[in-house]
This record gives sequence, C-alpha cells and structure tokens, in this order.
Amino acid sequence: MPRILPLFTKALTDSWRSTLAWAVGLSAACMLYLPLYPSIGGSAQMQDLINALPPEMTKALNYDQIASGPGYTQATMFGLIGFLLMSMASISWGAAAVGGDEESGLLELTLAHSVTRVQVVLERALAMVVRIALLSLLVFLVVLGLNGPSQLGIDVGHLAGAVLLFAALALLSGTAALFAGALNGRKMYGIAVGAAVAVLGYVFNAVGRQSPDVEWLLNLSPYHWAYGNSPVANGADWGATAGLYGISAALIVLGAVALQRRDVGL
Amino acid sequence: MTHAIVVEGLRKKFGSREVLHGLDFAVEPGTVFGVIGPNGAGKTTTMRCLLDIIRPSAGSISVLGQDPRSAGTALRRRIGYLPGELHLENRTTGRRMLEHFAAISGPVDPKHVSHLAERLNLDLDRQTRKLSKGNKQKLGLLQAFMHQPELLVLDEPTSGLDPLVQQVFHAMVREAVDDGATVFLSSHVLSEVQQAADAVAILRDGEIVTVSTVEALRTAAVRQLRFNSTGTEAHDVGALLARVPGVANVAVRELKADGHAAPTVEATATLSGQVQPLVQELARLNLTDLVLEEPDLEEAVLKLYTVPSDLPGQPPGSSQPTGPGQPLGNGHLHGRDAEGAYRA
Repeated sequence: MPRILPLFTKALTDSWRSTLAWAVGLSAACMLYLPLYPSIGGSAQMQDLINALPPEMTKALNYDQIASGPGYTQATMFGLIGFLLMSMASISWGAAAVGGDEESGLLELTLAHSVTRVQVVLERALAMVVRIALLSLLVFLVVLGLNGPSQLGIDVGHLAGAVLLFAALALLSGTAALFAGALNGRKMYGIAVGAAVAVLGYVFNAVGRQSPDVEWLLNLSPYHWAYGNSPVANGADWGATAGLYGISAALIVLGAVALQRRDVGL
Repeated sequence: MTHAIVVEGLRKKFGSREVLHGLDFAVEPGTVFGVIGPNGAGKTTTMRCLLDIIRPSAGSISVLGQDPRSAGTALRRRIGYLPGELHLENRTTGRRMLEHFAAISGPVDPKHVSHLAERLNLDLDRQTRKLSKGNKQKLGLLQAFMHQPELLVLDEPTSGLDPLVQQVFHAMVREAVDDGATVFLSSHVLSEVQQAADAVAILRDGEIVTVSTVEALRTAAVRQLRFNSTGTEAHDVGALLARVPGVANVAVRELKADGHAAPTVEATATLSGQVQPLVQELARLNLTDLVLEEPDLEEAVLKLYTVPSDLPGQPPGSSQPTGPGQPLGNGHLHGRDAEGAYRA
C-alpha cells in the first residue's frame, strides 16, 4: 500500500532514539541552568563578581545581560548550552541525511527505487525540520514551566519569538550540513560546513561585540542576526527570523539541485 | 518487438579516467543477459548507468524503451535492482526494510514477499546487522524481486550464496523470465552466469570483448580429453588425433605392456569445437577408457579477456546470429585457443 511521504516517515521514525536523547539533554540543561537564576543573576554578590571579570569576557559570553531573568535565559540557555546542543543535533542530522546515507552505501539502493532525488532531499530535510521543531517546542514548554518557579519574568510572546529564532539558528547549521553532504556525498564535509556556520557565527558575534573596529563582523554572524537584540527580553526580530528561515530553505533547494545533478555513490 | 535494453556508445569518465570506452549492446525482452568480467571491468558502472545512479559521459541508453535519465520514478518502479555492494541499515529488520521499499516502489503483494522469503529460507524478523553475508544477499534479492518488475538488474547476484540457494535463485530467474521479465545480471565468474543466461557479454577494461550465446562459448571452450586404447601403435594414435579439427596439446605414451598382450596407449589432448569429428575418429580405436570433460568455460573466457590478442578471431555473435543480444557495434574477439573453433 503506498504511504504518504515514505522517506520522511522513515527518517523520522529511524531517528527517534537520537531525538529522545537530545530532548533529554536539552531539558536537563534548562532544568540545571534556569533554577539557578535567583542565586546568580539576581544576587548582588554575583553581579559584583561579574563586574570584576574583564568586560571583553562578559561581552563574549553575553554575561553583560544576566542581571535580568530574560537576559539570563538568553545568555545561558539560548545563547550557550541550548545553542550548542541544538546545533550539534541539527548538524549531525543534516550531515547524515544525504552525505552520510550515501557514504554508507545506502543511498544507491534507495535511489534505485521509485523516488526522485529531489524527493529524497526534501523529505529528509522536512524530517529534520520536524525534529528541530519538536525539540524547540520542548524547550519552549520547559522554559515556560520554569518561568514562575525560577522568577525569570519572561514574556510568553517574547519567549515564543526567541524559540523561533533558536530553532532557525539550529536549522541553518543543519541545512548547511545537509547541503554540503548533498553536494559531495561525504558526511565529514557536512559536519565541517555545519559546524563552521555555527562556530564562526558564535565567534564573529563574540569578537564583533568587543569594539566598534570589528563591529562589521556582526553582520556576518547568523548568531548575531538571531540574538543581537536579545529576543527573550525584547521579542523576535521578524526580519531576521524570515531571513534565517529563508536561507535554510534556499540551502535545502540547493542541496536537492546538487544531488540531482551528480553521480551518486562513487 | 523492441529491446528491453539498448546501450549505444556508452562512455563514462570519472575525472580524467575513462572507465567505459563506448559500450554497445542490446538485450531482447524475456531473456537473461549476463555480463562477465573481472573486477573493475565496468560491470557495476554500466548497471548504475541503467538505473540513473550515475550518468553517462557519452552515448545513449534505453531501458524498457525509455531514457533512464529523463524517465523518472515510473521507469524505476518497473525495475528491480540489486547493487553489487549491498549495504543494509543496521537498526532494522528485513521486514521493515522491505516494507519501506514496498511503500516507495509498490504495490507489492505481501504474500509474494513471504513466499520468496520462505523459498530463500530467510528470517525477515531478524535484525539486519546480525545477518550473515549470504542472508543479507537474500534480502537484497528479495527487494529486487518482490514487486515483480519487468526488468531485473542484478549485480553479482549469487555472491555469498551457498549452492543450494544459488539453485533457488536460478529458479527465481527462470520463473521471472517465464512471466515475461528480462534479466540483466553480472558476475566475475562465468559458471554462475552460464546456467542462467541466454547471452553473455564479456567486458574487459571498459570494453565489450564479445557478445555471445552460452552455446557459442561452449563451442569455443576447451575440453580435456583423455583415453586409453589397445591394439594401435602410439604414433598411429597421434596421427589419428592430429586429423581431428580442434585437437591440440596431444600427448601419447605407451603404457607398460603386460607380457604378450597388445600395448596399451594412453593419450591426452585438448579439444575445442565440435565433438562429433573426434568421436568418429575415436570409433576406429579399441578404447578401454575415455574421459571427455565438461568444457571449462571459465578458463576459455578467462583466456579471452586476460591474454592480449595476437590472433584476432571472428566474433561468434556475427558468425552465428541466432541468440539474443547480438553486438550492435564491432565487438571483436581475442583469443589463442578459441580461434580454431571459429574456423571450424
């Protein structure tokens, strides 16, 4: 019996273990970091400690904003540990979707069946989008749950916007990994390109914030596009949101075109 | 009737290295066409081109009347493919894997799947990573056969299968052909192909050396001959053998005569070509023992494609235009021991 989107369902069901593992990790990170806010961000002693740190360092870590609940959530969860975990999940899925599948020799048999290459890329990209959406939804719910008990004082609308950008940022590294994998059929290239997008984005943001001389670096940083105005505190920048999702969509299409045009499984 | 596969001038370059140098062949529908050649001859590359997994650098391909490059999914639904290097996912069972492919390339009759699994003696509920090489190969065959495609493209289908399962496989191929399917299969050993194939193409270094029927190859092949006879002098036996076309490597010796009895002569030789002239000559002798071995086609073919030609012969396909899969191009035959057969 023909099923709808067979490759999508397969990609989704095959990865339930890793999806679950990342979900546990992200929830644990939220639950470890956010309840500490009242004793860290809110405490005067901690603020003194942070003031004693070199300002370059606090800027690089976004700790200049952790005196408020939303700022703290932005800097620790969305800006650091959550960003790290989500990017890793997304990059590993993106690199495996086409490049990893081809490298392990599985793609050849799939393509010999009644599918188009465009369909393979699109359905697997959709599975990645859905997994990222699920994890982001989970983060939204966990942060929302901790909002009261941890005295974070986050506006729900701003949180929703921040989570959208959080997902967009992770998706960008993931689609970059997928594109690179589809371009040359190697998982390592996918991981390298995806990681480069995430890491360089972070580094350009950290360096770009140091002085007006290097401020131009911020323009090159997807991390800064997403988090430059501290969305947990101030709400999402919708232009940046649309831009990030637009680039991801373009990378998926380019991945499909790249795979369509080349030999597979060499 | 149109051909199931027509390949004309197929060339494939990987970078600057050309691995297929202009292949020409055609496969008639409802036949089994075997490609043999050593590893690296281009068999897998040719098959991947038929499936549009890789794209030709030049030349044209028609599969079931369509160009695989542009025909898309509807054409691949009509093809069953077994890759030469079969890789299966680890975290799944055979059943789940087949259900997935059935969802893509279906409709598939589940009864047919369980019937095939039963015949191949394959447990579909075992984890694929725990399957032996042979069992993985069975799973690969099953996914190629299960949707009863019109064309089967099988790359080294019997690799890893034990002889009993090979028999099952050959039966499956015959049944598919009886149902009107066409089978295109490859092997690096002829013995696996000769049983199943109507026509055989021999591929060497990206070129088709010859396209021939198995029968023609059999004629070209060399048989070992050994017999004992009494009552005839050794040199007369030698002279008699020399008269038979296709006989070579004659060695005759007199066995120790026991007492006054006539001497026993033991003769060994090789025969290529027709058996009948030999039998006629041998009938003149008083034979006490005779062994004429099954021709070793493999050896014959190996000579065809490993020995560089110094005595070009005539392609059997053009001298005996009977079988399916005649060469469209100028296939030419190289061989030392085979040329006698084609002259005969």
